[in-house]
Amino acid sequence: MTDPSPLPSHLRRIAQVFVDESMADSPLARRVRHRLADSTHGHIPWTVVPAGADRVHFDRGADQALYLKEYKGKFLRFCPGTRAYHCCAYRIIHIGENCPMACSYCILQAYFQDRVLKIWANQDDLFTQLGEAFSADRSTRFRVGTGEFTDSLALEHLTGYSRDLIAFLNDHDNVVLELKSKVVDLSWMDAAKRTDRVLPAWSLNAPFINEHEEFHVSTLTERLEAARTCARAGFRVCLHFDPIIHFPGWREGYAQTIDMIFDYLTPDQIAYMSLGSFRCMPQLTPIIADNFPSATYIYNEFVPGLDGKARLLRPLRLEQFTFMVDRLRAHGMDRQLYFCMESSEVWQQVFGHTPRHLGGLANHLMARAFGE
Amino acid sequence: MHLSNETVTAPASAIRTAGAHLFWAAEPSPGLIRSMARHGQAQAVLVRETADGLALVAGYARVAAQGQLGQPVLARLVETADPVELGLLYLADNSLRPLDDAMRLAALRYFRLLLDDAQLAGEVLPCLGVTPGSRDAKLLADWLTLADSWQGHLAAGRVPLAAGTVLTRMDEADRLAVAPFFAELSWSRSNAVNLLTWLYEASKMTGRPVAEVMADSGMSHGPLRELSPKDAMARLTALAREARQPTLRAMQTRFDTAARKLVADTRWRVAQPDNFETNGVELTVRIADPGQLEQAVHDLQAMADRPHWHQLWDTTADHD
Repeated sequence: MTDPSPLPSHLRRIAQVFVDESMADSPLARRVRHRLADSTHGHIPWTVVPAGADRVHFDRGADQALYLKEYKGKFLRFCPGTRAYHCCAYRIIHIGENCPMACSYCILQAYFQDRVLKIWANQDDLFTQLGEAFSADRSTRFRVGTGEFTDSLALEHLTGYSRDLIAFLNDHDNVVLELKSKVVDLSWMDAAKRTDRVLPAWSLNAPFINEHEEFHVSTLTERLEAARTCARAGFRVCLHFDPIIHFPGWREGYAQTIDMIFDYLTPDQIAYMSLGSFRCMPQLTPIIADNFPSATYIYNEFVPGLDGKARLLRPLRLEQFTFMVDRLRAHGMDRQLYFCMESSEVWQQVFGHTPRHLGGLANHLMARAFGE
Repeated sequence: MHLSNETVTAPASAIRTAGAHLFWAAEPSPGLIRSMARHGQAQAVLVRETADGLALVAGYARVAAQGQLGQPVLARLVETADPVELGLLYLADNSLRPLDDAMRLAALRYFRLLLDDAQLAGEVLPCLGVTPGSRDAKLLADWLTLADSWQGHLAAGRVPLAAGTVLTRMDEADRLAVAPFFAELSWSRSNAVNLLTWLYEASKMTGRPVAEVMADSGMSHGPLRELSPKDAMARLTALAREARQPTLRAMQTRFDTAARKLVADTRWRVAQPDNFETNGVELTVRIADPGQLEQAVHDLQAMADRPHWHQLWDTTADHD
C-alpha cells in the first residue's frame, strides 16, 4: 500500500465535494473520487445534491468546495468581448466556473462570490454539443479555449478534463484548443495525437505582480519551464501578458519577464502573445480593495472605457504597451503580438497598424493558431 | 421586565443624572420648559434606587426642566442595574425621538463595550432604525473605530456618515492631515466623500502620505481662509481631484486651451466625450434662427483652417 500523495498546493483548500444526484456515478465523478481517495484529501466529505436543488451553500472561511454539476446550458460560447474594442473572438468551451487560485485582479471575484469550484460533470452532453458544432462543416475552423470562466488546468489533477477534451478533439482537425493557465499540469500532453492542434498557454506578468498579487499559482519560472517542455514536444505555446499593471517599477519588472521568456522559448515556438491592460467592471474595484487591501494598483488613473469598464488612461496604457512591444520586437516577436480589447487608435500608435491590416484580428489569430 | 409599577416624586436635585447609559442627554429645549411650566410633567422619568439615592435611567431633559422650574420630578422605578438593560430602557424611553447619525453612533459606542456584534445587530440596531447588514450598519461599524473627535464632527454635521469608510481606510496620520478641513467647514455628503476618497486614492497611487499629497497640491489651509466656505470647499475638492487624476487633468487642460482657441469668436462648442479613450471630439452649436445657422456654417468653415485641430486629436502628447 502506497502512502497517499499530497494534492498540488493550489488544490489543498478543497474541503468538501458536492455532486449532483444525477452525476454521482458519472465517469468524471468516479475519477475525482478515485483520485481524491489516493491523496491526502481522501477523507473529505462528499454530499449528494438532490435533483431540483438549484445551488449549494458552502461557507467555511478559506476552504473551498468542488461541485460536480450537471450543466444545462450551452457549452460552446462566444467570448464576451464588446464591440467597442478589438476582440480576439475565440470561442469558449465552458467546462466549469471559478478558480482555486487567488489573484487580486481576477474578474472571477465579481462573477462568483463564493468558494465553490464548479465542474460540469455531464461530459457526454458537452461532447455531443461540441461534436454537432464542429462536425457540421469540417471546413469551418474553430479556435477554442477553456480559460474564460476558470483556469484551464487548475483542476486537471483531479478531473483530467483537458485530457478528455483533447482526446475528443483528436477527431476534429478543424479545431485548435488553447489551454490557458497559471499552474503547471502537463498530464494531458500524451493524449494529443496532433501537437499542432493544442496550444498550451500561460499568463505572464512582472515578477513583482506574480509574487504580490497572484496566490497559490506557479512561479514564472515554472510556467516558462513547462512552456519549454511543451515546445520541445512539438507544441507551439501562447503567452498572455494580461493584466498588465501600472505599478512602481513596472518597466524593470516587465522587461525582466520579457527577457526571461527568451531564455526558454524562441519566437517561432510562440503561436501568439496577447497584451492586455488591467481593466475591470467598476464593481470589481471595491471587491479588490476589500479582499486585497495591499493592492494599490487599483488607485491608478482609471477612466470609464467605451465598454463601461474601468481602464487605465490611454497615455498610460500607451506608455506601457510601447515599452513592452519594443522590447518584444527586439527579441524577434512581431506578428504574434496582439492587444486584448484595445482600440484601433492604440493599435496604430503602438504597432503602426490596425487589425484591419491583418485581415481582422479574429482571422489573423485563427491563421496563427493553425500554424499558417 | 425591569419596569416596576411604582412611581415616586423627588426633587430634581435628589436624582443623580450621570451615567454612560444617558448617551443622548441634552439640556431641555425652551419648548419643553414652556410645556412643563404650563401642563406639568406628562410622563414620568425612569429612575432606580441605589445606595446613594435615586439614579436617573431615562429623562435627563425632564429632570433638568423640573429643576429649573422648581417642581418635583415624577419618576417610575426601574429594578435593574445591568448596564445593557439600562441602555435598552433608555432607548425604549426615547423611542419617539428623531435620530440622527451622531445619536446612533453615540448609542453604539455605549453598547459595543457590552455586547458582541451579533447582539448589537439583534438588539440595538433595530432600536436605532438601522437594518442589520445594511450599508448604514456597515458605515456605523466603521465609525465605531474612529476617534471621538470625528464623532464630534459628525454630530456637528460637518462630515457625513458616508465618509466613514474612506476615513477608516486612512491611517491615523492621514486622518490628522484632513481633520482641519472638517473643523470649520460643513461638507455635503458628495463633496466630503469625493474629497476624502480622491486624497486617499491619490496617496495610494503615489505611495505618499495624504499630507504630502495635500501639500503638493496647494491644499494648505492658510490661503483658503480668505475664501467663503462654499468657495473654499469647491477649491479643495477641485484640487483633490487634480491630485487624483493628474494626467487626465493635464490632458483636459491642454484640450480646453486648444478648444477655446479653435472656437474663439464663434457659437461653437468643442468637447472630448470619452475621457480621451478615442481621438474623437464633439462639436455642438445651438441655432435659433436662419441667420444663426448661416453664421455657424460660416464659422465652421473658418474653424476648419485653424491650426488647433491636431492638438485636440492628439491630447496624449504635450504640445506645450
